[in-house]
Amino acid sequence: MNANKVWAIARKDIGHYFASPLGYVVLAVFFLVTGFFFALIVEQTRQASMVPVFQNTVIIFLFITPMITMRLWSEEEKSGTAELLITSPLTLWEIVLGKYLAVCAFFGVMLSSTVVYLVIMMLAGNPDMGPVIGNYVGYGLAAMSFFAIGLFASTLSENQIVSAVITFGILLMLWVIGAAGGSAQGVFGELMKYVSIFQHLEDFFKGVIDLSHVFYFVSIIFISLFFSVKVLESKRN
Amino acid sequence: MIEVKDLVKNYGNFAAVDHVTFSVPEGTILGLLGPNGAGKTTTMRVLTTSLAMTSGKVTVGGYDVVDQPHDVRKRIGYLPEVPPIYGDMDVISYLKFVADIKDIAPDKKTNRIGEVLEMLDLENMSRRLIGHLSLGYRQRVGLAQALLHDPDVLILDEPTRGLDPKQILEIRKLIKSLKGKKTIILSTHILPEVSSTCDDVVIIDQGKVVAADSVENLSQRLAGGKTLEMEVKGPSADIEKALGKVEGVVTIKLAGKELRGVSRFELTTDGSTETREAIFQCVVKNKWVLYQINPLGMSLEDVFLKLTTKETTG
Repeated sequence: MNANKVWAIARKDIGHYFASPLGYVVLAVFFLVTGFFFALIVEQTRQASMVPVFQNTVIIFLFITPMITMRLWSEEEKSGTAELLITSPLTLWEIVLGKYLAVCAFFGVMLSSTVVYLVIMMLAGNPDMGPVIGNYVGYGLAAMSFFAIGLFASTLSENQIVSAVITFGILLMLWVIGAAGGSAQGVFGELMKYVSIFQHLEDFFKGVIDLSHVFYFVSIIFISLFFSVKVLESKRN
Repeated sequence: MIEVKDLVKNYGNFAAVDHVTFSVPEGTILGLLGPNGAGKTTTMRVLTTSLAMTSGKVTVGGYDVVDQPHDVRKRIGYLPEVPPIYGDMDVISYLKFVADIKDIAPDKKTNRIGEVLEMLDLENMSRRLIGHLSLGYRQRVGLAQALLHDPDVLILDEPTRGLDPKQILEIRKLIKSLKGKKTIILSTHILPEVSSTCDDVVIIDQGKVVAADSVENLSQRLAGGKTLEMEVKGPSADIEKALGKVEGVVTIKLAGKELRGVSRFELTTDGSTETREAIFQCVVKNKWVLYQINPLGMSLEDVFLKLTTKETTG
C-alpha cells in the first residue's frame, strides 16, 4: 500500500467532482437544506442545539449518496480508463481506497458548511458541546458508510444509473428494515433491528458515542470496500 | 523479452484465443495482424495483466503475468483500443496523474512530462482539456501515457486508429524510432502498417495463429508464392516433361490423377511472376488447355482478403 498512489487517485477523483456541475449542484442542495433546517429550528425552538439539524438532514444522504458515488467506478469502465488503472503498478486496494477517500473529502467540503451554524450558535448562545461532537461523529459515520456502499455498487455496473439505483435500493433497505424488524418475531426480528441504520444513529444524536455503534458503521465500510476489491478482482476473468 | 506459450482464453464455450504461441525478442517490433474480432485485443489484455487467461504461460521480461503481475505492470506501457483519457482533465494534469500512479520519482516528473510532450508534439496542447481535443490528439495523449514511465515494453492496440494519413505517418515514424530501444507489440488490421513498421508479424484469425514469420518472408510468400498448383487438360507425361523445361520452374510433380483428361500438378518455381506467364505460353503452344493455376498457401491469402475487405468497409 502506497499512500502517495492512494492520494493520487483521490486527487484525480476530487477533481472530477469540481470539473462538472454535479459537484456544485449537490453542494448547493446540501447547503440549502441544512441552512433551511437550521434557520427554521432555531427560530422555532430558540435552543442552541445542532441535534435537530442533523436528525432531519441525515435522510438527505439517501438521495445524495447515489449521485456522488455512481460514477466512481462505472465511469472508469465506460470510458476505458479502468484499463489504465488496472494495468498500472497499483493494487486494487490502492484504487478503491483512493476513490473512497475522494468521496469522503467531498463530504468534508459539504460538512464544512455546518461549522458556520455552529459558530453562529456559539456566538449567540451556549450549546452543549457533548452532543455536538456525538452528532458529528454519528452523522459522519453514517454518511461514510453510505458512500462505501455506493462505491461497491459502482463496481457492479458500467452504467451509472444502474449503479445509482442499486445504491439507493440498498440504502433504503437498511433504512426501513428496522420498522419491519419491529413486527417480526424472535431472532430474525432482532437481526433486522440490528442491521437497521436508524437504530445505531439514535445514541449519537443523544450525544452518546457507543463503541458498538461505531463498530457497526466501521463494519459496513470495511465490508463494502472489501467486496469492491473482490468485484474488481473478478473482472479479470 | 515477451514469451507467449499456448495461450488460451475462453469466454464460456467460445475460444477467443486458441493456443496462441509467439515470442518477441528484445528491441524488435511485432505486428499482430488480424481482422476485427480475431483475438488481438484479448491477447494484448492478457499480456498487460488486465485479463486472466484460461491456460498457457505468458512472460514479459522474464516475469510471469499471473504470478508477478506487479513486476510486469512496471515494465509495460499500454495503449488500449480506446485511449484511457479523462475528458475533464487538461493534458498536463493527466500526465502528472499518470506519473504518480506509475512510480515516476517526483523530481523527475516535470522533466519527463516535458520530454514526452515534445516527442508527441503536444506542447501547444498541454493546457487544453483532453475532452476538447481532436481524435488524433487524444490518441497521442494516450501514447504519451504509455511512454511516460519509459517502459521496456510497449503494447499498442491499433495505435493509428482514428488518425488522418499525415498523423499515421508521424506515429509510424515515432514507433520506428523506438526500434532497438524498446520491445513493441502493435496490433492492426491494416497490412501496410505491418510492412512499414514491424520486424515480425503474427497473423491471427478466429483466435488461432494463421502465420508467423518475418515481414520479409511473408511478403515474399504473398508476392506470388513459390509453389503453384495447376490443372491442365492433355497427356500428363508430355505436360510434365514440357513444363519441367520452362525457365523458372524448379520441380514439377503430378499431384492428382487424370480425370477426363485433366491432370493436376504441383510446381515449385523461383517465385517470379514471369514464370507463370511462361507456363501459360508453353501450355498454349502445345495446344493443351489450362484449367487453373494458383499459388499455394491460400489460407494466408484468404486472411488477407478478409483483412483488406475489412479495411475498405470499416
